[in-house]
Amino acid sequence: MNSRVLVIIPAYNEAETIASVLRRLREETPEYDVLVVDDGSEDATAAIVASAGGAELVRLPFNLGIGGAMQAGYKYALRHGYEIAVQCDADGQHPVDRIRDLVAHVIAGDGDMIIGSRYVADTDYTPSVGRRVGKSLLSRLVDAIVGGGITDTTSGFRAMNRKVIELFARQYPEDYPEPETLVVLHKHGLRVAEIPVDMQPRQGGETSIGPNKAAYYMIKVCLAILMNVLRRSARIPGGG
Amino acid sequence: MAETPQLGFQTPHRIVLLVASIVLLALVLELVRRQRFKERYALLWLIVALFGVGVGTFPRSIVWLAHLAHVQFLTVFFALSFLFLLGLVLSFSVVISRLSEQNRDLAQEIGLLTHRLRRLENDHDGSES
Repeated sequence: MNSRVLVIIPAYNEAETIASVLRRLREETPEYDVLVVDDGSEDATAAIVASAGGAELVRLPFNLGIGGAMQAGYKYALRHGYEIAVQCDADGQHPVDRIRDLVAHVIAGDGDMIIGSRYVADTDYTPSVGRRVGKSLLSRLVDAIVGGGITDTTSGFRAMNRKVIELFARQYPEDYPEPETLVVLHKHGLRVAEIPVDMQPRQGGETSIGPNKAAYYMIKVCLAILMNVLRRSARIPGGG
Repeated sequence: MAETPQLGFQTPHRIVLLVASIVLLALVLELVRRQRFKERYALLWLIVALFGVGVGTFPRSIVWLAHLAHVQFLTVFFALSFLFLLGLVLSFSVVISRLSEQNRDLAQEIGLLTHRLRRLENDHDGSES
């Protein structure tokens, strides 16, 4: 249990899929440590993770949302001295067999954070018009601020180095955090790159975001991003 | 419009205001005494209650303000109350934001510490057997 790479899996009611994700992780990247952050699930997620073995489990006392759960993971990575952290969904959408590629690009120094971007549209998944428009607006906003180069601003399949772990342990957005984190990284002078990956449709469980909530998040995230631009960037104490 | 009689700030108004302010003052102090109210939030309400007592005692002040603004004295009351409530709600939003941030940090800390505790317990059991 002493590798330098930690795969962080935030899980909220993912009992249906978490076991298969853990099994695939064990097959593909047995040398990486795995941490499941159970974000106050009401189903058997935690019990399944515990009985599956091979993964550390941090249980939050109640549901914090994806941002709070991921930040708990980054705090864990920071305290346990991991050099590289990978974020991977528990619902089986992310191609576990590409984690090694993400990590390799981080080690090669191609970016402080490497995003696995979906370049093929999900076959089984046709997002509503509203959601598509929202996503493209958000991407454009992030693009305008960060200066282009990111095609998939909402991907939660990412690997990052110690500098980013330190930053995220200190400061991480709450809901729908991925686009905002790109702005935060940019403000701190950290580089982001992406590689194309295939994403699978959800293997089970429910998506946590309905249409009304999506619109609300959209507006909230845009506001948060704009505020981030206006905010003076706080330097990481003692870090890069 | 000029015929509208200017409603003055008369004795019945003063009495209602004074009684209401004193009741509010007593209520706030009692809540603080029973520790149902943090002093820092009670302060705002105390200021309001004292303001009411002040205006009830020196009615000319509010009449003077109303004259200055060319409105009836009731309008001055409503405007001041509205501003006060706005400020209060705004400060609540700030407080709630800070509390929810602390709440998040605590939840994360509980999760991480529980994990660590379980690990230590396991290690301990392992070394004993």
